[in-house]
Amino acid sequence: MAGRLIANLEGHGPLAQEERAAVEALVGPMKTLPSDTELVTDGEAAPDCHVLMEGQAFRHKTLPDGRRQIVFFHVPGDILDLQLAGMPVDYSVSTLAMCRVAPIARGRLADLIALRPRLGQAFWRLSLLEAAIQREWMFGMGRRTAYARVAHLLCEVYARMQRADLVQNNRCRFPITQNHLADAAGLSGVHTNRVLQALRANGLIELRSRELIVRDWAGLVAAGEFDAAYLQGAAERVAMARPGGGLAARG
Amino acid sequence: MTNPFFRKLLRRDRSLTEAEARALDEAVSHRIEVDADVELVRQDEISHQSLLLEQGWACRYGALPDGRRQILALHVSGDFVDLQSFPLKRMDHTVATLSRCRIAVYPHENLRRLSETMPHLTRLLWMATLIDAAILRQWLLGAGQRSALERAAHLICELFTRLDVVGAAPDGVFNLPLTQAELGDALGVSQVHANRVVGELRSRGLVTWRDETVRILDWPGLQALAEFDPTYLMLESMDR
Repeated sequence: MAGRLIANLEGHGPLAQEERAAVEALVGPMKTLPSDTELVTDGEAAPDCHVLMEGQAFRHKTLPDGRRQIVFFHVPGDILDLQLAGMPVDYSVSTLAMCRVAPIARGRLADLIALRPRLGQAFWRLSLLEAAIQREWMFGMGRRTAYARVAHLLCEVYARMQRADLVQNNRCRFPITQNHLADAAGLSGVHTNRVLQALRANGLIELRSRELIVRDWAGLVAAGEFDAAYLQGAAERVAMARPGGGLAARG
Repeated sequence: MTNPFFRKLLRRDRSLTEAEARALDEAVSHRIEVDADVELVRQDEISHQSLLLEQGWACRYGALPDGRRQILALHVSGDFVDLQSFPLKRMDHTVATLSRCRIAVYPHENLRRLSETMPHLTRLLWMATLIDAAILRQWLLGAGQRSALERAAHLICELFTRLDVVGAAPDGVFNLPLTQAELGDALGVSQVHANRVVGELRSRGLVTWRDETVRILDWPGLQALAEFDPTYLMLESMDR
């Protein structure tokens, strides 16, 4: 059941049979959530972390006056609030679509990590890979054009969906509105619309019927200055299998 | 317990023991003194040690060949600058000093031993990287939703609060060895714009920033402008 989570934990090498079994035993029964539901609330120290089994969700922060910044798009296999293992969360998580999530009691997670330090490192690694993604976003916010920023964001979601085996015929589910994209890229709705039209006009992508369709992966990678290395965190740079293939150079 | 990292941990977790403090100390292989503007770890490098900043300032940044640079974190005394390279190995960004620094070197081999024998301390090390990530998310929120002026005010509030924890900002005065270009690279604006917002903070009577010295004149005013809420720094002392 926890196959995608286990695959993510195995980023630096396979887990032992009993480690895999221990992770399976950690994950509780799935529950279904409708779209547009806030599952994790900023500031709370909830008793459970949540594994996203199916569907898509996003992490966000909000200023007192209501300005909202999306800081992460989640794909199946992600733990939405792993931070709870160490401290309360400083963000909220809401569903983008209907989701199936499974709880991990954080007390049991702490016990398991204490018992199996190697597994603890694998979980730690997951939270550090999240931080690497946030750094890429931060770089984009500060130093990429709106066009490159949106292209990069779409590359990342597509690449992560592909790693979760959820891309087919160059398309994956991505049920976002223009508002979501604007809040993730730090742009106005009008500006976001213009960027999306340009990406479409240049033959790179289409966003429709709750799907992201990639028409020209190499072109999108170039537009977004995208280099998937940060998604791996592995000791070696491994080129991902993907349509169009090849890593974009980033120096 | 003068090690600034212990102070930082103790401030957040009152249950830290003497044995844990000693174990952390014994995991240090040696200490180095490094000049300002030296790259400590480079992007894409495989690292076999992590560095604890005991004194001085360092930053993490991402850079592109065309010269664009974005500072992704500022580090003060008591921060590990690259603890993530222990579980992750490959660096996705570069770490450089901003001032002369004294650094304690922790070989990953020693950290591994520690992680195998001291689960509570290992959780605190994890927590230190979670706090780094929370700070980064604040920056992301700022980059997307705050004005450059609000961002600059927020950064000063954040740095003051972090320095205060390690006793390095008495009376709201602290050393900040950032050039205006570097401030621009942290705020995601041009040097000219960075210069302008610092001038604006001064003319509003909130802070002065001269010769690498920041002096907070109106703390409530600065906090209000920044809408600063330190919760994300996890400064509450509890059993963790």
